[in-house]
Amino acid sequence: MLDVGRHSNIALLAYSEVEKVDGQAGNFKVTVRRKRRYVDEDKCTGCGACAEKCPTMVPDAFNEGLGSRSAIYSYFAQGIPSTHTIDPDFCRQLKGKKCGICEKVCQADAINFDQEDKIMELSVGAIIIAVGYDVFDPSQIPEYRYREIQNVVTAIEFERLLSASGPTEGHLDRPSDRAVEAEIAGFEKNLKKSERTLEKLEKKYDEASAQFYDKYQQGQYQDDEDRKKWADRYAAYLTITKSLDDLKNKAESFTVAKRLAFIQCVGSRDFRFYPFCSGYCCMHSIKEAIIAHEHEPETTSTIFGMDIRAVSKGFEEYKIRGGNHSNITYVRGRVSEIMGGPGNNPVVIYEDTQKRQVESQEFDMVILATACAPTKGIVELAKIFGVELDEYNFIRTSPLSPVDTTIPGIFVCGCAESPMDVPESVAQASSAAERAAEIAFQPNL
Amino acid sequence: MTAIADLINTTKTYYCLDCGVCTGSCPVSRVFPEFSPRQIIERSLYDLEELSDHTIWSCLTCAQCSVRCPADINFPEFIRLMREQAHFVGFDGVPAHNGMLQTIMSIQTKDVQQNRLFWIEDGKTKETGDVFYFVGCRPYFDIIFRDIDAGSITGAQNVLKILNACGVEPVVSNNERCCGHDALWNGNEEKFKQLARLNLDLISSSGAKQVIFSCPEGYHTFKNFYPKYFGELDFKPVHILDFLADKLNEGVIQLEGPGEEVVTFHDPCRLGRLAGIYDAPRKILETIPGIELKEMPRSRENGICCGTSGWMNCSSCSKEIQLQRLKEAGDTGAGTIITACPKCQIHFRCAKAAFDLDIEITDLYDLVADRLKTE
Repeated sequence: MLDVGRHSNIALLAYSEVEKVDGQAGNFKVTVRRKRRYVDEDKCTGCGACAEKCPTMVPDAFNEGLGSRSAIYSYFAQGIPSTHTIDPDFCRQLKGKKCGICEKVCQADAINFDQEDKIMELSVGAIIIAVGYDVFDPSQIPEYRYREIQNVVTAIEFERLLSASGPTEGHLDRPSDRAVEAEIAGFEKNLKKSERTLEKLEKKYDEASAQFYDKYQQGQYQDDEDRKKWADRYAAYLTITKSLDDLKNKAESFTVAKRLAFIQCVGSRDFRFYPFCSGYCCMHSIKEAIIAHEHEPETTSTIFGMDIRAVSKGFEEYKIRGGNHSNITYVRGRVSEIMGGPGNNPVVIYEDTQKRQVESQEFDMVILATACAPTKGIVELAKIFGVELDEYNFIRTSPLSPVDTTIPGIFVCGCAESPMDVPESVAQASSAAERAAEIAFQPNL
Repeated sequence: MTAIADLINTTKTYYCLDCGVCTGSCPVSRVFPEFSPRQIIERSLYDLEELSDHTIWSCLTCAQCSVRCPADINFPEFIRLMREQAHFVGFDGVPAHNGMLQTIMSIQTKDVQQNRLFWIEDGKTKETGDVFYFVGCRPYFDIIFRDIDAGSITGAQNVLKILNACGVEPVVSNNERCCGHDALWNGNEEKFKQLARLNLDLISSSGAKQVIFSCPEGYHTFKNFYPKYFGELDFKPVHILDFLADKLNEGVIQLEGPGEEVVTFHDPCRLGRLAGIYDAPRKILETIPGIELKEMPRSRENGICCGTSGWMNCSSCSKEIQLQRLKEAGDTGAGTIITACPKCQIHFRCAKAAFDLDIEITDLYDLVADRLKTE
């Protein structure tokens, strides 16, 4: 990625959208809207001082909303170009409130709240569409209760939880437990506030709150308005301490998730959604189970599916290794239903089709291997480029020219074309680049 | 080709992925492991299934399996067609209540003098008109299930009361017949067709443009099966929930207290999964002041069946399903389980009586009629 950023022949227009495409192969005119970042890309050094001081925290999209980032942000640490962007939906200054802290701390003078979108026109010989895919939204499957049960997560959410640079620094803390920790943090903040108020009152009357409260409850000071307030504050303080103690007791028993269930074919190989096999999910479930086991050797994983499609060199061996060395059990049976169980443990209900038995099993966390879905804006995009889509809304190609779209000079690679794994995407990208070069470097153009 | 092989082709059951979602979802399989939708299909595909297989009569046809099936196989329809074939060669399920209800259905195919209107009292009805209220089997159920206090006829009286309050005086006919739902799912297509024909002639002679149903089975059968056998209908089947939602929106009727009550709602399979009506009953419950709705874990698309269907194969398995469901309802903290199907009422009230459970079972229309605001 960094190589692309540094390459003298590559102009990288990130955070931009194509609005119009005219012309034909060898001579396209492309209109691009460079969306305003409110940060001057050329000045920004990517030091991150602004993000550190920014007072507004928002859910972090890169971490699937599992962590938070500031309103001025870089999408992720290794991203290129190494610059920052202000999120106009959340930035206090842009919302008309007083702030501007980032502007003050920026030593490069890169912040510009008055920046406008820029429209630019490019003349290009060929175009490659590489817009990727979206993760299938599993809330469309009511029986998996993805939105209702906190500890049912998608594979990409799980990936972030496993990541050392993710919101839990690689510890498999369960979302339900994290919610309790967040609640504790909220109460602790309130508690500090409450303690400060009480301290002032204690100083004023030179008496400990508890002592005063005893007297107050026995009937003293009933006509004193100020002391009445003190009593109310102290009562509120007691409630907070009580709730906090309860939550802390609960949190004591929290451990990382050790019993994992992986559910294959969530949205794929399913006539209700996508009938195709997404191809890579069997392998990423095995990979995630192996990594989880590396993090915590007590981890056991069960992978539920109709079959494990470990199709490629070394893949079957990887699957078997997972079974032999990483406590993975493979169960043949598609999961029928996930129910909420005791202790926020999801309960998986399925027929083990080899045993011919309906079973239910409790897990610490359930991971859904979600299908590869065409990206949201692809219909709009196809209209702009004039390319055809297939029946699922991936970009149409033909088997003998797998990177050529229906428009000459416009090519496609990766999951914009169909579901595929990383090596295949890389091969397609090289192929598309080669096809584009054939057109761009025709001597008569 | 055998009859079953033929069925596999017409219903495209060969798409089966053998994944087990159906069996894992089936409320019967969880209690009675001998019944397995996946294995019935597996046996059928390998030409090992026999029409004499008694487990085909255990299916509740509740569609819990088919709405989840990744291969889009309509298992209830597959079973229905298989039952048709089985019935044709002389195999039948075990009728509940000694076949009394099947006999009543048969009698209605003949030219009989019924006593269907005894319940009307001061309700306002007409002989002909635009709107027909199809009462269904409630007058019969009322007699048969008096011992468990099924309240079937109160339901009909209350639906009429609601219609009258909305300014509708519907046609209600003494010559109405059973809609044929149970005959159809018992595999008796001939009986279904006879009953349906009589109903269609009756409605046609009433001049009705709209037929209102409070029973989800009647609505589903008229809407989805009558056109299959007799072509497009010359009237519109309307479910009273849709009708009520409109009237509440327009402010024609209003609902009032008194009293606070925590309730839960049981989605009848014909109303929910088969007719897709999930929100309307909930909206109505929300409209009633003082009513708090607590959902059961298995609700809406995941709502479990009331335990038996088509007055057939009512067994200890049915009772177990009902018991679990009523416990699930009680666990929400609700004192009352609301349903919107006369059969769910009967089945739950039967289980309540058998197990002596502490939960009220109420028909949605009884509740609405009770809370109608009168000027």
